[in-house]
Formats: sequence, structure tokens, C-alpha cells
Amino acid sequence: MTNLTLIKNERIGGQMKKAIILGLSGILILFFLAACRAKVEKAPPPPPQVEEQPKVEKVKEVPPVKKPELSEEEIFEAKSLEEINREAPLEMIHFDFDRYFIREDAKPVLAKNAAWLKKFHSAKILIEGHCDERGTEEYNLALGEKRSKSTFDYLVSLGVSADRIRIISYGKSQPLDTGHNEVAWQKNRRAQFVIIAK
Amino acid sequence: MKARAIFLYTVFFLGISSLFFSQQEVVLTIKEGMPAIPLALPEFRVHSSSAEATEAALTIHQIMTADLKFSRIFQLLPESYYSYIRPLDPDKIFFKDWLSIQATLLFVGEITSEKSNNVLFEGKLYDIKGENFIFGKRYQGEKSLYRLMAHKIVDEILKIYGEKPYFTSKIVFISNRDGNDELYMMDYDGHNQTRLTFNQTRDYMPAWSADGKNIAFTSYQIMNAGLYLLSPYEGKIEPISTQGTNFAPSFSPNGKKLAFCSTRDGNAEIYVANSNGKDLKRLTFNKAIDTAPNWSPTSREIAFSSDRGGTPQIYLMDAEGSNLRRVSFGGTYHDAPAWSPTGDRIAYVSRVDQIFDIYVLNLRTREIIKLTESNARNESPCWSPDGRHLIFSSNLSGSIQLYSIDYDGANLRRLTSQGENKLPDWSR
Repeated sequence: MTNLTLIKNERIGGQMKKAIILGLSGILILFFLAACRAKVEKAPPPPPQVEEQPKVEKVKEVPPVKKPELSEEEIFEAKSLEEINREAPLEMIHFDFDRYFIREDAKPVLAKNAAWLKKFHSAKILIEGHCDERGTEEYNLALGEKRSKSTFDYLVSLGVSADRIRIISYGKSQPLDTGHNEVAWQKNRRAQFVIIAK
Repeated sequence: MKARAIFLYTVFFLGISSLFFSQQEVVLTIKEGMPAIPLALPEFRVHSSSAEATEAALTIHQIMTADLKFSRIFQLLPESYYSYIRPLDPDKIFFKDWLSIQATLLFVGEITSEKSNNVLFEGKLYDIKGENFIFGKRYQGEKSLYRLMAHKIVDEILKIYGEKPYFTSKIVFISNRDGNDELYMMDYDGHNQTRLTFNQTRDYMPAWSADGKNIAFTSYQIMNAGLYLLSPYEGKIEPISTQGTNFAPSFSPNGKKLAFCSTRDGNAEIYVANSNGKDLKRLTFNKAIDTAPNWSPTSREIAFSSDRGGTPQIYLMDAEGSNLRRVSFGGTYHDAPAWSPTGDRIAYVSRVDQIFDIYVLNLRTREIIKLTESNARNESPCWSPDGRHLIFSSNLSGSIQLYSIDYDGANLRRLTSQGENKLPDWSR
């Protein structure tokens, strides 16, 4: 009996099941649809958020990329002449005793200085010629001028425009090292560069 | 034997050295010129009991003593001689007394004090042999003028003897005592040091105009070493040449021209302008350095230094730039020529083994005297208006200071001590 009923039940159950499955699946579909609708309805708010965030991030990411591109000129523009001169981008050169020709060791230094001047093509410089104390006041003032002039000529020969350079001589009146020995004298026989316009 | 050997060696070395030097260098100190005139300068008589009058008498007497000794023209009688004769009575001078102690001249000074802070100084000069009154002067003033009174009356004495008076002249120089190189001036003896410029930039190489009213000097203004003309008594400054580096000015003694060195055309050359700085003319055309022009007393020639021969040497040229000739030989570094007011000598700096000394070249005899002898840098010689003295800068004491010395190397005196002092120029 029980078996029969079971079978009946199964039969009935099979029919019932189909209906239930259909019904449930219909409900599920409805739910799914509803859920889908609900999802579609709920979805819009997040996307703007998601879209806005990347925009902010992009804006943030762009400037660091642009800054390094402009940096050297912009930094140069932003700095005062005093700040630039404090950094001394142009290295000084030295001379032999009583002489004013450009030494071999000074040529690469001047090439570097010329490259800098070509990069910052608006910059103007003053070349100061200096001497050590082992010359007379009068002759040293002329010798310092010769040193700044030969430095000027060399930079011009490397393609730096002459109207960007001024020269002056201080003779022995502005020693870097006030000592009275060969080390001090060598330091003091020099042409040094001051940036006077940018 | 030993003495003879030394003598022979000396002769040998002198012979050798004369082969090397075309001009003979005399290192010995030479006393030359006429013997100094014996002058009696007894104590001044004071016609007043005031302390001021007594102080004035002492101060003026002291300064006159220093001036007369400095002159090298007069020789002061030792005070001890005065005790051998009757005391001086200005109203009745016993000339025979003064003759007996070998005085040629007698100076009698008297001080009276009429008002407070004010004295009257009267000075009279007598010729002992001729028993004559030569001249007399009266000065009135307060304490701050005692020094000037003494200098003025000694200048009058110099004039009587046909000498150029210079005790009231001024020396202009550069000092950094206030932190920056500025122009200063002082009396010949280092007194009354006064600051003249307040530029806050470096001032350099001053030179008096012939009339002593203006000073040309280099000033580093706006990245440029320009030459300017200062009227210290009017407080005026005018630019002369501001193109390039401009320095080493020298006024012609006739007051008409100003020579200086400029790089306005690209190289250190010598230029001449009118004394007001106008009508500029270039005198040298040479790739080498031409610098340190200095006029002859006739204003017809200019001495200067140039390395056109390879090393800096002294050259002379006519005031128009022609007739060039080299006058310094036997060394590798000669600069800063200073033509003596007597015309026959040129003082200059010579560098030997990194030591600078001042030498005097006699243009007539070609004889050279070494004036300074020190292990130092002696620089920027400049003659006194009478040519018997020079001033120069030296680092003898460790710092650069101004010194005066006589034409024969005698009487070295230090004139400055505050800060460092250099580049002197003595007004004519």
C-alpha cells in the first residue's frame, strides 16, 4: 500500500513537481527579472562614482608627467639670479702664472659652460678676470682683463653669442684665497662667471 | 792676504755681473745734492699766561721741527747749542751770537692769546750773516688749525728758497678700513686721514689733477670699472670713461690732459683726454698690454709699461704717441713708472723672485738705484711735489700700508695703520 501510494504519490508528485518546478522557475524568473531590474535600477549610482574616481586620479597623474618635461627651464625661470649664482652652474677656470691663454684643462670646462649657455639661451653672463698677488696693481688689472677676454673669445668660438657676455677685471683685488703660497696663488689666477640675466 | 782675496773676488763678481746687466745697478745708498742749510729754531716766546698759548707754542714748534727735518733742505741746529749763547730776545737779536754757533738762518716765533680758543702766531725768518729780516707771517686760529699754521709757514720758507712748497699738499689713497675699498686723503705726514667716497663699491687707483682740486679714480659700478672725476671739496662726481675697464689715471702737470688705461676698444691701451675727460684720443695700438701711463714734468712725454716685448717693461713716448723707446732693461718685470718732478728720474717697481722693490732710474746717467730693500712687495711709487721724497705701499709689516722714503733711500716712515692702505697719489 504504501508502495502504491508512493507510486501514486510519485505520479501525483511527478505532476505536482512539474507544476511546482514550473511555478518556482516562473517565480525565480520573476525574481531574477525583478532582481535584474532592481540591479539595473541600483547600478547607476555606483558607475558615476567609479567614473569620477579615475578622472581625479588621471588629473593627479598628469601634472607629474608634465613637470619633469618643463623642469630645467621652468626651474631656471623660477629661480632668482642670486639663487642661480649660488649654485654656480658655470665652473671657473684657472691660468698659468703671468699668462692669459686658455689651458688644456680649462677647455672641457669651457665646453661645458658653452653647452649650458646654449641650453639656457636667454642667460647673459659676466666674466671676471682675477690675478694672484705676485703682480703689480696696474699690470694685474690689465692681465685680469686679458684673462676674461681670452675666456670670452673661447666661448664665442664655441658658438656662444658675443652679445650675451660682458667682461671685467678685478686684478688682484679679490683673491679667493688670501694665503701667500702656490696653492692660494693658483686658486686666485682665474676667470669666473656671474649670471647677470636669464 | 784675506782682505786682498775678498777684494779680488768682489772685482771678479762685479765683472761677471756687468756682463749680464747692460746697466749697472747701484745698491749703495747715495747721499747727493747740496748740504742742508743750518737753521736755528729756538723755543717760541709766549706773551700770555694762558695754557692754550703755551700749548700752541709747543705744538707749532714741534710740527715745524718735523717739517723742516723732513725737507732735507734745512738742518736744524741742535738745541744744546742755544745754551752757549745769550737767550733770544725777539726785540733785539744778537746776530753774532747765532753766527758763533754756525746758524745760517734764525726763525723767531711768538705766540699771543687775545681771545679764548684763539691764538696769534707770528713767525719771522732772519739771515744771520747779512743780519737781515727775510720775511714774516702772522696766523690766527684755534687749536684745530695749529697744524695747518705750522705747515703754511714752512711752505713759505721753502718758497723763499725757490723750492716747491708741499707741506700743505694732500695724499689721496685707497683704504679698506671701513670694510670696502674707498678713497681717503691725508697730510704728507699721515695726519688728518679723511674719507672721501661712500660708494659701497670698490674704488681704485686715484690721481690728483694738477691744481689739486679734482681726483680721477676707478670705481666698479654696475658690473663696470669706469673712470670718474671727483671734486672732493664740492662733492661732485662725473663719469669720464665707462666703456670697458678704465684705470691708472694720470694728469699732465700743465693741467691740460688726462692719460689713462682703458679696454674700451677690447685691449688695454693708453688714451689721452682733456683734463675734463672730453675729446678722447687713443695713443697705443698694440695687441700687448699697455698700462700705467705717467706724465713727464714738461707734459711733453708719457712713461708707461707694456709687455709688447714679452715681459712688462717701461717705455717712454711723446704725448701724441710717437717716438717710442724702451728704458728698462736687465729684468723680467717692470711696472708702475713714476716720473720725478725734476724730470731726470723715473721710479718704478721691479719684480725679482716674487719680491717687489722700488728702483729709481736716472735717465741722464742710466744709473739705477734700488730704493727699497725688503723681503716684501713694495708698490705704487709716487714722488713728492719737490722730487726729494716718494710714497709707496708695502706689505712689510704683514698688511699693506703706506710709507714715505727719501730719494736716496733714507728716512723710511710708515704713514698708515688702520685697515689696508694702498695706491697713493701725492697732490702737486
